[in-house]
Amino acid sequence: MKATNIYDERHKWVMFGRDPGKPDDIIDTNQYLVCTPDRALILDPGGTEIFSNMLAALLHHVSIEQITDLFASHQDPDVISSLDLWDQALPNAKLYAPWLWEGFIRHFGLNTIEYVPIADDGGTIDLGGIKLELVPAHYLHSSGNFHVYDPVAKILMSGDVGAALESPGADIFVDDFDEHIDKMKMFHQRWMPSNRAKNDWISRVRKLDIELMAPQHGRIFKGKNVGKFLDWFESLNVGTAV
Amino acid sequence: MSKEAAFVSSASMAAELELVAKVAKDMSISVKNAKAIANRAGAKARGFAPITDFIDEMSIDTMKLVSAINRESTALSRVAIGELRTRDAYSKFLEVKNKSQDARFISSLTKPINDLKLKQEKEKVELIKYAKKLKSLMDDISQKMAVANVIVSNSRIEAVNAEEYRSNLETIADDIDKSCETIRNRVNQSFHRLENAMDQWKRLATDESNKYI
Repeated sequence: MKATNIYDERHKWVMFGRDPGKPDDIIDTNQYLVCTPDRALILDPGGTEIFSNMLAALLHHVSIEQITDLFASHQDPDVISSLDLWDQALPNAKLYAPWLWEGFIRHFGLNTIEYVPIADDGGTIDLGGIKLELVPAHYLHSSGNFHVYDPVAKILMSGDVGAALESPGADIFVDDFDEHIDKMKMFHQRWMPSNRAKNDWISRVRKLDIELMAPQHGRIFKGKNVGKFLDWFESLNVGTAV
Repeated sequence: MSKEAAFVSSASMAAELELVAKVAKDMSISVKNAKAIANRAGAKARGFAPITDFIDEMSIDTMKLVSAINRESTALSRVAIGELRTRDAYSKFLEVKNKSQDARFISSLTKPINDLKLKQEKEKVELIKYAKKLKSLMDDISQKMAVANVIVSNSRIEAVNAEEYRSNLETIADDIDKSCETIRNRVNQSFHRLENAMDQWKRLATDESNKYI
């Protein structure tokens, strides 16, 4: 699994993805690690199928004891079906996830990790020195959904928003935004159910100072491409299957 | 016998043995009929009453045993699933250790691996304990059926003396005999199913623990 440092200052952000070892018929996912010298948080740790490769890649950056927190933007299997395995690896960790999905996510197997339910209006994850904001993104696409904003690194981990269906080994960053649209359009029109929710999220996110927008699938948007994405998304009609 | 996981076998076994409870219940009804006939026959079927009492008691015991088997096989299924998940995690952690020996923090995986190994050992002990308990409960039922066979033979001798009630009592003895055979076959089948599943589990557990050695 490829690991890319996307921010490396007082704390670090690492993106994991483009896994050549994953089975062909499962969607490629991006996992993110945020770490300080003492603590580490994994954002959307991924599904059971990629667990071994993900853990192997992580151990190049942090130790098991350092991983204190997990975050699941929503309940989907590609986001958190590996929970049972993390539960056996990190008995003292906390999982931050939408309150709405607690009873559902526990079906993946949760015996030792503490489930910290995120209220509808969001919250924070304090990594000791670094405070990450949990930004509501309900109905984008899940009915209980959050993104993570780091005001110091100016990174928004945007879950399925900004996701693209890519071929294996695609670049990490969006280069030509207009060319990238084709890879995102169907994904957003079909998986995002509500224009109202979309516009609510856009107005909230426009107030944030974002240098990198990092989705769970596809490429990361950098600098001006973040604004271009928000404009494009604003004009897109979603929920088109009905 | 097809290869199946222990948790599937124990769950299927519980379902299969539901039939045993039903047959035991039917047997209890047949015995009550026999008792009523024996009462009407009076002195002609004097020897029949203790036999019917015994078979009635035995069918009630069998129903209780099936209920205990249900409880134990559900517990076995739960432990088997837990053990399977632990084994899966253990195998994945070993795989990571094996392929990432150059990772800077690979040694931090040693404790979780050791913890999982201990957990797996405990679950194995528990799994074997439940399997033994289940086999012993099934053995109890088989023994009861063996005794029932002898008793049914006695009841046929008693029926001979019951004159005009003879044919009714013999029919009931036949019914009880058939019920005993059904129960014996079903329990035997479940017993072998459990043994196969446990053998299969032992082989898998051994293969997987040798995988990364």
